[in-house]
Amino acid sequence: MEAALEIRGITKTFGTTKAIDDLHLVVPRGATYGLIGPSGAGKTTTIRMILSILFPDSGTLSVLGKTSALEAKDRIGYLPEERGVYRKMRVDAFLSYIGRLKGGVPGKVEARAGQLMTRLGLADALKKKCEELSKGMLQRVQFVAAIVNSPDLLILDEPFGGLDPLSVRLLKELIAEEHQRGATILFSTHVMAHAEELCEQVVMIHKGRKVLDEPLAGLRRQYDTSTIHLEPLHGTANLMSLKALPGVARVRLTDDGCEVGLAPGTDPAAAMRAVATAVAPARIELARVRLEDVFIRLVTDSRATDDSKQALRTHLQGLGGEGVLA
Amino acid sequence: MMSRVWMVAGRDFRATVGSKGFVIGFLLTPVLITALVIVAPRIVNSRSPQIQGEVAVIDRSGSVLAGLRESLSPATIAARRASADKRRASGQGAPRGVPIPVLSVVERSASAEVQQEKAWLIQEKSDLPRHLALIVIATDAIVREAGKPEYGTYELYVSRGLDDATESTIHESLRQALVAARLETKGLDPGEVEATMQVVRPNAVIVAAAGDQAAQRGFRRLLPFICGVLLFVGIFTGGQVLMTSMIEEKSSRVVEVLLAAVAPLELMWGKLIAQLGVCLLILAVYTGVGLLALVQLATIGLIEPMLLVYLVVFFLIAYLIFGAMMLAIGAAVNQLADTQTLMGPIMLLLLAPYMLTGIVGQAPNSALSVALSFVPPVNTFVMLARVASDSPPPVWQVGLAALIGLATAAIVLWFAAKIFRIGLLMHGKPPNFATMIRWARMA
Repeated sequence: MEAALEIRGITKTFGTTKAIDDLHLVVPRGATYGLIGPSGAGKTTTIRMILSILFPDSGTLSVLGKTSALEAKDRIGYLPEERGVYRKMRVDAFLSYIGRLKGGVPGKVEARAGQLMTRLGLADALKKKCEELSKGMLQRVQFVAAIVNSPDLLILDEPFGGLDPLSVRLLKELIAEEHQRGATILFSTHVMAHAEELCEQVVMIHKGRKVLDEPLAGLRRQYDTSTIHLEPLHGTANLMSLKALPGVARVRLTDDGCEVGLAPGTDPAAAMRAVATAVAPARIELARVRLEDVFIRLVTDSRATDDSKQALRTHLQGLGGEGVLA
Repeated sequence: MMSRVWMVAGRDFRATVGSKGFVIGFLLTPVLITALVIVAPRIVNSRSPQIQGEVAVIDRSGSVLAGLRESLSPATIAARRASADKRRASGQGAPRGVPIPVLSVVERSASAEVQQEKAWLIQEKSDLPRHLALIVIATDAIVREAGKPEYGTYELYVSRGLDDATESTIHESLRQALVAARLETKGLDPGEVEATMQVVRPNAVIVAAAGDQAAQRGFRRLLPFICGVLLFVGIFTGGQVLMTSMIEEKSSRVVEVLLAAVAPLELMWGKLIAQLGVCLLILAVYTGVGLLALVQLATIGLIEPMLLVYLVVFFLIAYLIFGAMMLAIGAAVNQLADTQTLMGPIMLLLLAPYMLTGIVGQAPNSALSVALSFVPPVNTFVMLARVASDSPPPVWQVGLAALIGLATAAIVLWFAAKIFRIGLLMHGKPPNFATMIRWARMA
């Protein structure tokens, strides 16, 4: 089956900065891909090149079977990270304008915009001017603008930034619906948790280079850290005594308990039994790989110090990357 | 592609024309111009206070005082102004509507000391009557001294705060009194001489196939300048709206939403077409009102139909050149304040030819006028001014100027499109011209 998106060795340089370096990527039709990496990694530049807003210095792209997104703009929905509206324009007029610009049929565009706005609890806002809406409401309007033409390829750049939890949940539902409808979804985020929740495949970019392109299931197997999270039943328990258990490589104290790192080849099930026997648990679970851990492993070499890894981790967490692979 | 361009153009056109600012500006501009040109001077003058006071005269010639008393009288001043109104072209006399001053002449001894008399002019503001001026008429002001080719004249000393209009009135009265006294000395009747000097100058009649028509030289001389004003106002208004709306769209971040739906070039053309529509609307209404006025005055024949065609052609070319430049600047900066340094050279390029139109209209076939007709981007203004003048250039020159203009527009549009595409997504430090050239290379 023809890929929804095919990127072959694109490179983009701004002045002396290489923003994207020999990037290859194939996104099959109907897939949900997460483009992740810290701020400045090159995600937005990649998306802008996919959309033919910017053009690569070298390499080629194919979008929905066309050699340029310019030939397929009507079939692409895009929610940019830096998004805005015409403040003086009425919401219904704005959605109609964007929908028609993307080749929507007059009448149908307005009907679908109305449905989506109702779905997002914004039916009353249709007749208002954009400047009368709150920031959260505007972000939902902008999302509607991205999907109002029922696109075949939906590109979302940091779609949940600044949204309240309820809006995030609503948007995730709508993204899932678009996926079920058959749309290919590519979204970029530095919030790893969102990628873990929504994506089938994760593409990591670091300093303009692709460092990972794997299905989430495969990642889980490949980067399993074999770590046990333990929250003791009694606060007085001597957690450091767990170090003496067979197969335990390290113990790191956390706010609510500790993380027990297992030595390579240790059977996790046996280790969990041993830990639970040594310290009565209020909660015990096998930790799953975190995308930020994968990212840190990929971008730091084996000689990197724990401090530098921790600094990078803190940086990623500062960006909101506190998620756990589901 | 074209449908998206028209959609962008349609939205932007409606947004501009439907804004309160446009409606107010559109309607207000002609009202303001009318007010400035016609009404304001009348109101200003009519509200000037009437000047009353004394004028001291030392008549060393001994034969002017009586005549001066007469010529400074309100009735004579009024008659002189009425006469001056008839020959407005001379540019003399006090402005119309200024109240006639009431000046009483105080005679001083012919041998009075000027230095002492000057002290008479210094008084407190509240002192009445006001001492307005001291006139010293030279001994030979009426009869020339032997061997001298010229008559003597007068000295005028005025008090602080005497207005220009009254001073001008005193000069006029003196001139009238002196000339009359000189003529009488020679046994001539000043009234007869005045009548002898007057030759009523009728308007020339243009003889054309369509029939005879009164020529309006003044209007014809003004026409190149009027065309320059129309071009300048249209381009500046359109360019300014293009630039500010672009900055607004960029700063509100709506531009990236648009770029997901349209190509940068489509967006650029859409915006250019939208404001072109707005400018043509303004131009059409203002030109229409002007033509209507000419019809009312039965002088519509002064406008050649081809002039209107040339006006549109050269406006289109100039609009594309300057509009594209200003749009590119709007796309490159983040806020209006950032445009100041970039707009400087463009304003110079726009103002220089606009100022030239008057000069070119006076000498449409001078070497400078012909040379500038082929120097972009000033050639659009210059050629239009020449076409509107009394001696229009040959058609081949008009065609060549238009071609040069079109080629310039194509180059500017190509360059602007590159800056537009890169600049739209650039935020942070405002660019300078070097940065913009680098962007153009990058795009």
